[in-house]
Amino acid sequence: MPLIALDAIHYSDKVEQFVEVSKSVGGNAVVLREGEDINVLIRSLYPDAGKSASNVPGIDAVINPDDVRTSQELNGISLGIVQGVFGVAENGCVWVVQNVKERSLYFISEYLVILIDKDQLVDNMHEAYKKVQFNDYGFGCFISGPSKTADIEQALVVGAHGAKGVTVILR
Amino acid sequence: MKKETHIHAAERFLSNKKNAEWHDETLWQTRTKRDRQAALIPEWEQLRELASKIKMHTITHLDRYLEQFATAAEKNGATVHWAKDAAEHNAIVLQILQQHEASKLVKSKSMLTEECNLNPFLFEKGIDVVESDLGERILQLMDIPPSHIVMPAIHIQREDVGKLFEEKLQTEKGNADPTYLTRAMRQCLREKFLASTVAMTGANFGIAETGDVVVCTNEANADMGTSSAKVHIVSMGIEKVIPSHDALSVFVRLLARSATGQPSTSYTSHYQKPQKGGELHIILVDNGRSDNLADKDHIQTLKCIRCGACMNTCPVYRRSGGYSYSYFIPGPIGINLGMLKDPKNYYTNLSACTLCFSCNSVCPVQVDLGNQIYKWRQGLNAIGKANRTKKVMSDGMRMMFQQSGVYHAAVKAAPLMNLMPRALIYCKANKWGIGREVPQFAKQSFTSWWKKEVQKR
Repeated sequence: MPLIALDAIHYSDKVEQFVEVSKSVGGNAVVLREGEDINVLIRSLYPDAGKSASNVPGIDAVINPDDVRTSQELNGISLGIVQGVFGVAENGCVWVVQNVKERSLYFISEYLVILIDKDQLVDNMHEAYKKVQFNDYGFGCFISGPSKTADIEQALVVGAHGAKGVTVILR
Repeated sequence: MKKETHIHAAERFLSNKKNAEWHDETLWQTRTKRDRQAALIPEWEQLRELASKIKMHTITHLDRYLEQFATAAEKNGATVHWAKDAAEHNAIVLQILQQHEASKLVKSKSMLTEECNLNPFLFEKGIDVVESDLGERILQLMDIPPSHIVMPAIHIQREDVGKLFEEKLQTEKGNADPTYLTRAMRQCLREKFLASTVAMTGANFGIAETGDVVVCTNEANADMGTSSAKVHIVSMGIEKVIPSHDALSVFVRLLARSATGQPSTSYTSHYQKPQKGGELHIILVDNGRSDNLADKDHIQTLKCIRCGACMNTCPVYRRSGGYSYSYFIPGPIGINLGMLKDPKNYYTNLSACTLCFSCNSVCPVQVDLGNQIYKWRQGLNAIGKANRTKKVMSDGMRMMFQQSGVYHAAVKAAPLMNLMPRALIYCKANKWGIGREVPQFAKQSFTSWWKKEVQKR
């Protein structure tokens, strides 16, 4: 196997780059300010959200997705709030390893909030894959912005089958 | 039946001037977006080189990596099937569906299942196949094939989609707004996703070390399908296996940037284990690929990661559309794949190339697409498919250039061409005369001028 010894891209300010590229892919990324309440921030980002779902400790939500019997029951979730592992500055990807009973939560929610630690940003995908690990669910996904398509005349439409909007909160 | 040649099919495409221009410009825009993304990565060319080397290494050690992949996948709880051809692949899919008494299959986009003609096969067996990628679904409802491997419905106008959805999805009359139409399909397919028990995807990569299958989409259709259904069938060409996540990091940096000019697809999903209480079936398909391994002139096609960049940049593809090619994959890579599949059947696609080599310079894995097309052309005579007119002309030219007497006589006679009537010069046999003017021959040849003016001094 050829040796992968690249001087790959890195950024002087990973947070700034991550926020910028997240916006360019139709998503959003915000940094939780010192002393700011995360639940207040989420409500201010999605004031009209209906039924919310989260199993992240300390996060307000209507249902705990681990309590559903089938993935179908998650249909109609307006806002899913999930824990991500780390973000990638070069392309706005967040590595999400399944940590809810039904992985459909990541895709079926109308809007998705992904939480990551501020210091969990890497520069590029080479560094990212060194950190990729699976758990017993055996599923993980890099998510970069919302679901989108341009299949009709190359006109960009956000919200194809998955989330219509994604916000990554760095805290 | 004789297949329509590229040139005639292209003529049909070009007869709708407005659509043809739109097609050309839109694909060029995608190429431009790709350039912008590439320019943001200083190590871009190194990445291409590395990607090419990793693919060459993997396909030349495929026995080892396939075995490693299959072992790892099975250890993860997946079931691995081996299919030597399309028929075996299709039979395996049907068998899995029957085991689960499934009459429906929700599918995400897969060029391999197109290659295997899976959908018609399953329809015949009474299985309702639902394509879930928006473009593929539009085409399925229209009952026509894709015209591009990444943007399958690129040749369809929004008004036509609007009309189609009016009929099939009962959308508002006359509403051709892409957002409106996309959302209508979202709602319609949501029900299909929720009701299906078996979902199918292709594979962008299979990782030998860890046994996971990687699928890249923007729409989340692969994930909506596989997270709703408990049974997931993956259809994967054997050349999709790569050694490790380290290797994958090179390819994911190249794939979306090359394909659509995005820094990443929205979703890069890694399926390592079956869902709890579910099943993960991985079908490894050969269907001629191992024969291609032995063909040293054309082995490089096996490096292809199906990004479509060669189509977006190709001056011929952009101006002739996907349907002008007789193989189901169009553009430079399609010309080559068609020749590998059945040269006598697909050789006419070889004319759809100006040998500008733009495809070579954008291909993220450095497939030598243009060189291969050139090589195929050199071999046309050997398979009895060389153009007869061109053969006669080459023979004539060889005779002329080998005998100086004939050559000088021809040069002397050439100015007579200037006096010939247009109807004779631009006759049917002169294909070069279509859209081109023959230059005027000089009254005096260079040799006679040299002898008269220079040597005399």
